[in-house]
Amino acid sequence: MMLDTLKTLLSVYGPTGQETQVAEAVKRLLEGHVDGMRTDVMGNLIVEKRGEKGGKTILFSAHMDHIGLVVTDIEDTGYLRVTNVGGVGVDSMRCRHVVFANGVHGVAVCQPTKGETAGMQHLFVDIGAGDRAEAEKLVKLGDVCVFAPDLIPLGQHRYASPAMDDRCACALLAELLMQLSAPRNTVVAVFSVQEEVGLRGAAAAAYQVAPDLGVALDVTAWGDTPEVKLPAVKLGEGAAVKFMDRSMIATPCVRDALIAAAEKANVPYQREILPFGGTDGGAIQHSRGGVPTGTLSIPCRYVHSACETIDMRDMDSALAILKVFVNGEY
Amino acid sequence: MRIEDFLKEVTAVPGVTGNERAAAEYIAQAFRPFADEVEITPLNCVVAHKKGSGPRVLICAHLDEIGMMVSKIEEDGSLRLQSVGGVDPRVLPGMRVRVYAREGMLTGVVGATPPHLLKEADRKSNYNWDTLFVDMGMDAAQVRQRVRPGDTVCFEARYVEMKNDRVAAKTADDRACVAIMLEAARRLEKMDHTADLYFVATCQEEIGSYGALISGFALAPDYGVAFDVCHADTPGAPKNSTSKITSLVTSKGPFLNGFLVKKLEEAARENGIELQVAVDPRYTSTDADELSVTRAGVPTVLLSLPIKYMHTNVETLDLRALKEGGRLLAHYLAAVEESWEDELWN
Amino acid sequence: MELKTLCELNGASGQEGAVRKAILEAARPLCDDIRIDRMGNVIAFKKGRTGGRHLLFSAHMDEVGFIILDATEEGLLVFRPVGGIDPRVTVSKYVVVGEKKWKGVIGALAIHLQSAEDRKRVLDYDGLYIDIGAKTRDEALADCPPGSYAYFDSCYQEFGDGCAVSKALDDRVGCYNLLRLLENTYDADVTCAFVTQEEVGLRGAAGAAFAAQADTVLVLEGTTAGDMGDVEKVRRVCEPGKGVAISFMDHASIAHRGLYGELMALAQKRGIAHQVKRGATGGNDAGAYQRSKQGVRTCVLSVPCRYIHGPSSVVKLSDVEAQYDLARAYAEEAKAE
Repeated sequence: MMLDTLKTLLSVYGPTGQETQVAEAVKRLLEGHVDGMRTDVMGNLIVEKRGEKGGKTILFSAHMDHIGLVVTDIEDTGYLRVTNVGGVGVDSMRCRHVVFANGVHGVAVCQPTKGETAGMQHLFVDIGAGDRAEAEKLVKLGDVCVFAPDLIPLGQHRYASPAMDDRCACALLAELLMQLSAPRNTVVAVFSVQEEVGLRGAAAAAYQVAPDLGVALDVTAWGDTPEVKLPAVKLGEGAAVKFMDRSMIATPCVRDALIAAAEKANVPYQREILPFGGTDGGAIQHSRGGVPTGTLSIPCRYVHSACETIDMRDMDSALAILKVFVNGEY
Repeated sequence: MRIEDFLKEVTAVPGVTGNERAAAEYIAQAFRPFADEVEITPLNCVVAHKKGSGPRVLICAHLDEIGMMVSKIEEDGSLRLQSVGGVDPRVLPGMRVRVYAREGMLTGVVGATPPHLLKEADRKSNYNWDTLFVDMGMDAAQVRQRVRPGDTVCFEARYVEMKNDRVAAKTADDRACVAIMLEAARRLEKMDHTADLYFVATCQEEIGSYGALISGFALAPDYGVAFDVCHADTPGAPKNSTSKITSLVTSKGPFLNGFLVKKLEEAARENGIELQVAVDPRYTSTDADELSVTRAGVPTVLLSLPIKYMHTNVETLDLRALKEGGRLLAHYLAAVEESWEDELWN
Repeated sequence: MELKTLCELNGASGQEGAVRKAILEAARPLCDDIRIDRMGNVIAFKKGRTGGRHLLFSAHMDEVGFIILDATEEGLLVFRPVGGIDPRVTVSKYVVVGEKKWKGVIGALAIHLQSAEDRKRVLDYDGLYIDIGAKTRDEALADCPPGSYAYFDSCYQEFGDGCAVSKALDDRVGCYNLLRLLENTYDADVTCAFVTQEEVGLRGAAGAAFAAQADTVLVLEGTTAGDMGDVEKVRRVCEPGKGVAISFMDHASIAHRGLYGELMALAQKRGIAHQVKRGATGGNDAGAYQRSKQGVRTCVLSVPCRYIHGPSSVVKLSDVEAQYDLARAYAEEAKAE
């Protein structure tokens, strides 16, 4: 069930550069449902479900990593100095509950900035250590903390949690693989690493797979809260077919095929034109000699905060679209 | 077809970055008489191959243009736009734009508040993407039926012939250089060349030279020639950022191969073609940047056509410089030979 | 080849010829195969006794420098940096310009002639010129045409307690250690890549990476040490004298966790002075290697350099030794998996 899969994946520790636990969790879910699974040198989990002879190879990508803070130094007083891993805004880290891989909890705090614009240099993490020696027993330089897991239902259809970006798409992709039987085209699902620092995992995976088509699965921003109008995307109105963001202009034939799949599946969908941001799609489209690529997005409010919010109806719409899409003739 | 006529038509064909199919088709058919093979790749690069024994040279000019995409349809039927590539929103007020909808091209007008209604404060701030809108001249219901978010929008396209062989058009960046490549291909029909030549009209330059990246990978050239526009002298430009509009420019700097630049200057000298020199301490902001590091690296030169008012729809160039560009490119490509390999790193 | 010799060669991004030539000559007798690739990199290959592993060590040949754009009517050369050089470091420095190596200075308006306001302004490149003594624009450009390079005129000097001061320690220290690595034999196959154009975007390494067949890449670099002056204790990144700095991450790459752990343990085991690079800033060739093709395990070993990207960068020579010792130890212990 999509919600159970989502809940499983949301609770796993997996900041950019340390995605192993997420890969393990996905592997457990997919055991017995796919034709092959392997991990490459960067840590991408590459999974295959074979299609018919004469079908094309479609690469789907959902990234396992989420943003965090890395320990760069330790004060004599026991506070941890940190910097961002991926796009972390200072605002999202003011008095925020964070957790390390080994289970150590902390509070991320922004110190008074004395009129300067707040930046990473003003952040510190309080893990309750009295001095440097105590802190060094709990964490090492290079350790990464993430928003502590915290899934909350909102209303009838919605959930807020850290790491919706991009575990909801990982859940979507996993569900697709579990529910798919005998696709016409070969499906290669990449659960990718290091998307948040520049689509690095997807680039390596796309090079290895050399697919005929690519589709990235990711969250997109929202346009339906006070004073936020763009992108013109609303929660609950269906998965969003991306026309462009700042990493890629969706290849017309793939984006049109996603729209056609939505219409054939008779589910709601939206058109997304994003003025910022990027997805694995950019890396896939520009790999090797070029690959026709598009992106299917889950609308998400408050992206890159501890309360990323999605609507499960959009997830259902996305799954229905993908089930039709994988059987298209390309 | 005269090169001026090609220029007039090719600059008007729609081909906003990422949605370049129409431009690719027009350019492919133009190259057919002058190449052994012409193909359009899945991402809309045009590759025109003029066979030779070697070395393999990839020459590129980009076919995509900056433009806009409809980001939203407002309640009153007006359209909001998002830039694709570096569009300065200040060029838009009062422009008649071309909206490419399912049924074909529709005209829209970028609205501007009438002067009578402007407050003093309004006059002091610029239009930006939040305040600009496109008036389609129909009611909201009709707009919603005929136009969709995601439809591409191009600048107004006029070809203005001015004094002294100057021409103003949209998309001189970079279809004027596609014209130069075509001119060179035409001339090379009557010249001997050993080099194996691939003229590529690349896609997606305006958002990161992706066309050059994937073409370099696919074609694995030995040498590269990138062709793009650069800035011509204009009042108010910072020092050392512009060139004379009357002749071509080549760049020197870390991204370009010193030996190949020398051979280019030689070709210019030997054929009486004026060639200015610009210096790029780092990025050239052209396909040269990506082409030169594809695969294991590609020694590359950059040639530029100076234009005024870059990234507006009145980009202005000198036709004689354009024609000389075709002549220089042809002579340089005819000179490429295998022995150059031994001198690349001296 | 001595570190002094390497540092005193002039070779900025795009004009590495002199360094390339010297390294080719020094490396040729030490390896089984050596070639210049299509980015101008020198790729030296040494076959291992048993094979099974293939390691690649990388250092960049290019230093930061200047390039001439034009000249003023009065004969002063207009220039810009190649690679990142803070303009404030260039004022009142000695340079050498062009193929004929003209001596020049980057002057500044005499303090007596400056207004109070002038003195507060930060000079930027459009207000700085190189003076080679030319009297007219034509003279200046005849001697140093646009596209000519200029370098800090700076010699290598050992001073203090085991320190060295020079230009270009970033990354001639890496080149120096790579040449020394080639002097030994190993079980594993070893490639030493001396790459170009790191300072303008990790470009030589991208080319080297495409052709590389290694299972592991170690980048030998020079990195910022901010341990002097008013820098807060927690922003110092690393300190000269505390050994080779090992990076867990920077802007361009994230160290392979297993490899990072192996290197830390190895340094501990062999008693090699080492420190963790305390920061995730900067980017280097590891980023290019890691992103190439199907990806590869990478880690960065750096020598702390004070006042990096200037005419007088300072290192502790024992750190240079530590970088060599750790790289060599890794190569010696590399076993087939």
